[in-house]
Amino acid sequence: MPIPPVRNPLSRFRRLLSSGIVLGVLAGFSLSAAPVDYDFYLCANINRNYVIGSKIVTTNGLFSRDETTGEWQHFGYNDTTITALAFDPRDRDVLYTTTLNGIWRSLDGGDTWRMTNSWDMTEGRDVAVDPFAPDRVYLALPSGIAVSEDRGQTWQRREHGLPDRGKFTQRIALDRVVANRGLAGCEKGVFLTVDAAANWRCVLPTETTVNDIRQSPHDPDFWVAVTDTHGAWESHDNGESWNQIANLPHEHAIYNVTFDATDANRLAVASWTYGVWTSEDGGKSWTSRDAGLPENPRVWRVGVEPNTGRLYASVFQETLYYSDDFGRTWTPDALAGSLVNNFVSVPRS
Amino acid sequence: MHFPFPLTRKILAVAALVASGSVVAQPSFEGPPPTRDVVASVPVRRAQYLARAQEMIDWRISRYAEIGLDKMDMATIAMKLTRDEDIAACDARVIELMKEPGTGPFWMFPTAMVAFAGRDKLSVEAREAIHEAWRTTRQLRGDTENHWVMYHTALYLMAELYPDESAAGWANGLSSAENRTEARGWLLDWMKLTTTIGQGEYNPTHYLGEYAIPMLMLASYADDPAMRQRGTMMLDWLFAELATVTLDGMPRGPNSRTDDTSVVERWYALATYFSWQLFGNVPVGEGFRGWGWGNYFSVLAENYEVPEVIYRLALDRDADTLQHDRARSRRIWRYSDEHMRPIYKTQYLREDYAVGSTQGGISDPIQSHVWDVTWAVDDPRGVHNTMFSMHPHSSGRVMQMFFTTYPEPMPIGVTSEGKPSYDSPDKLLGCSPYEQVVQDLDAVIALYDIAPDARFPHVNGFFSKDLEDVTEDASGWIFARGGDTYLAYRPLAPYHWVPHVSYPNSRDPEKTEPTGGRVLTSPHVKNGTILQAASVSEFASFADFQAAINALPLSYSLADEPTVTFTNLRGHVMHAKFGATPSIGGQPVDYAGWKLFEGTHLNSELGSRVLTISHGRLRRVLDFNTLSITDSVTP
Repeated sequence: MPIPPVRNPLSRFRRLLSSGIVLGVLAGFSLSAAPVDYDFYLCANINRNYVIGSKIVTTNGLFSRDETTGEWQHFGYNDTTITALAFDPRDRDVLYTTTLNGIWRSLDGGDTWRMTNSWDMTEGRDVAVDPFAPDRVYLALPSGIAVSEDRGQTWQRREHGLPDRGKFTQRIALDRVVANRGLAGCEKGVFLTVDAAANWRCVLPTETTVNDIRQSPHDPDFWVAVTDTHGAWESHDNGESWNQIANLPHEHAIYNVTFDATDANRLAVASWTYGVWTSEDGGKSWTSRDAGLPENPRVWRVGVEPNTGRLYASVFQETLYYSDDFGRTWTPDALAGSLVNNFVSVPRS
Repeated sequence: MHFPFPLTRKILAVAALVASGSVVAQPSFEGPPPTRDVVASVPVRRAQYLARAQEMIDWRISRYAEIGLDKMDMATIAMKLTRDEDIAACDARVIELMKEPGTGPFWMFPTAMVAFAGRDKLSVEAREAIHEAWRTTRQLRGDTENHWVMYHTALYLMAELYPDESAAGWANGLSSAENRTEARGWLLDWMKLTTTIGQGEYNPTHYLGEYAIPMLMLASYADDPAMRQRGTMMLDWLFAELATVTLDGMPRGPNSRTDDTSVVERWYALATYFSWQLFGNVPVGEGFRGWGWGNYFSVLAENYEVPEVIYRLALDRDADTLQHDRARSRRIWRYSDEHMRPIYKTQYLREDYAVGSTQGGISDPIQSHVWDVTWAVDDPRGVHNTMFSMHPHSSGRVMQMFFTTYPEPMPIGVTSEGKPSYDSPDKLLGCSPYEQVVQDLDAVIALYDIAPDARFPHVNGFFSKDLEDVTEDASGWIFARGGDTYLAYRPLAPYHWVPHVSYPNSRDPEKTEPTGGRVLTSPHVKNGTILQAASVSEFASFADFQAAINALPLSYSLADEPTVTFTNLRGHVMHAKFGATPSIGGQPVDYAGWKLFEGTHLNSELGSRVLTISHGRLRRVLDFNTLSITDSVTP
């Protein structure tokens, strides 16, 4: 299915930006369980087998979802390598993306961009804006963790407590209710900071990379982490202790986990080997939801549209799929040939 | 996943040539091989060097005389500008090409070269088209060492060309000064790494161009005399090593990165272009090899003078040479205690053959080549003049060590992105964590302790179509002759033969063609190979060679850790046990004590940033601490 035509994407984007002050960033959610409207974005690579040197012949990068039409509208720059997106909760014109080159910041809603990292901080994996101190931005790097205190203008390494080797950081997730607190998914486990990355300590050791960590939008003490070879893990004490989630396969990698902001019991995970699995009882039991997706789907990412509970699945270099019954049936969506690196929900108010 | 793909580039170039319908003479490819005689006269040698560059330029330009100047590529535009020819056509073509800029280093450096070659010649409109492309087009830095050299060199020079731009003048939102600082910082760090602990992409069969051309651009265009000097010195550094790691101009192993074709046809590589251009000692490839990065070197070739000492390294070899050198692996992101593994290279060259190796293990996860013996041939075109063994390793976990990928997609992805054999059991390309190698002069012991659940739990040995007198002896040795080299190959476990195939389509792992060669496949996880080479002239007959080999003391065990004790033809006892430090002559190999370069021609203390290049009475010292080049001649 072709990419839908872009209809004034920047004007649409700016309209979204002007819709209100946000309290959370990067899949952060409201402080309470009260209904909140969200904007929904994704970062997509739509160049099948792209290699350095090729011309970028399709439109890649950031897309926002138009609620009226259901279409994905591109904004910002065209890049095959965007892995993450984060907004400043005070000013939605300030946004950060991570790419192969490093971290790119826009102060004008995506019209112009500045590459803010130095040459030794490249191939960023994730970026997060501190919801309590939005000048502070966290950057997950294959070589560790860096933090900016000046909206990404300059960066300093903050890796005390991380191992000398094993600092590969795939994911940074900041606590939405406790200031200066966050979790990092690294090569050697889940690491916790309670002092804005001044120190880190391991709260879940692993032998292979932690691919994703998410905090429940309904219960801030409830976190889920997924890993390469250790399956999925849950914490009910705000990341201090972890237990492996039963009833999910765990010999091969799980790439990401997502919560449904409309239903506290709903979670989903994505895996190249296992496809899509969902839980509708808060993670106690899990069901494979591959029926209706391509055979043996290599699922790169799942995301839940937070206003409607629509479940999305990005199947490796196939079209995007969605399900309005949480995986029981699937419908092909746009973005043919894509690989979605991230779904990002941003509260409007 | 981002990978350069030289084979694809070659195919595209050939396709372009075919599509053009042009049949343009390329004398150095079509003619007889060069004599390899040393040209003693400096002016004559220089004239020949410049003539070779002009041959390249003439050939390239002549192609577009047939297919139309409105189709010119960037290399040809740079050539035309340098010759001050058809400037209006260059203007028009530049404007046309800048309408669809590329996305990374392979676009950036050609564009930078045209920008500089045309800075006083192109029209205002054409120059503005280039300027606008750089102002508006995001560029990807890439994810390998050669990408970064091209990216930062181009960025450095373009920031010099547009020195006063604000952040609005660049697609990356940095000012000219910031871009220049950023690029300079990386370049200096790369030069420091290379001159202290070695190059990551060491002895590449293709990527030499991706280093040499940017360095020549720095030497030619940089305003800063220190950067120009660095460019020149890095060229000397690269080409001195090229001279020592080639046999009559042909690349040979070990190689950080090579490909399915040139790992068996050693001549078939872009590095051969540089041997031809610099030394004139080998036939150059068709189309001056593949996509033709050599084209860009030829544009600026007159700005480099091949030092006589390096020239002599390549051509004046009247004695055996031995080098023990260090390099480094590419950067390891995870699943290793080492950020960059030290690579220990042993290189032994004789008139008839060369034997080279690293210690094994993982260096570059996809395209490396750990050891081989390559024998000399009069005309290397189409000849598969090499022998080696290897474990065909394929692993998502290893990919994760070096790339920011998940475990599953990359082994599949690389096969369709220019490395079709990567996930094939019969492949001959790559390194393995289950391989350990030790070399003494012209003898090699390669041991394999392969995890039983490894994807391809067997050992492949390459037996070329060009071998003669292949004899499977009752002793267990396999004897053969390649050129004027006798070869003895000892598999340590039972084996069978499978036809060797090539991959004519670099994006299709299913399409293969037999080459006439064979692969000795030994399906045992505890395994090993012993290789001994010798010159035909050392023995009265092939039978005498076989008798000598059979008389050599040899004991081995494949239980537990594979272990070999072998007394080689040179009388040295080699002892190797997988997982342990090997010994030669009873002395453990002192890898920790290896210098950056130590040997007959190249010497450098680890971390010193000083390289001494010597040949006979000639000596050149490159000192990156003082940015000085010092030549001396022993009276």
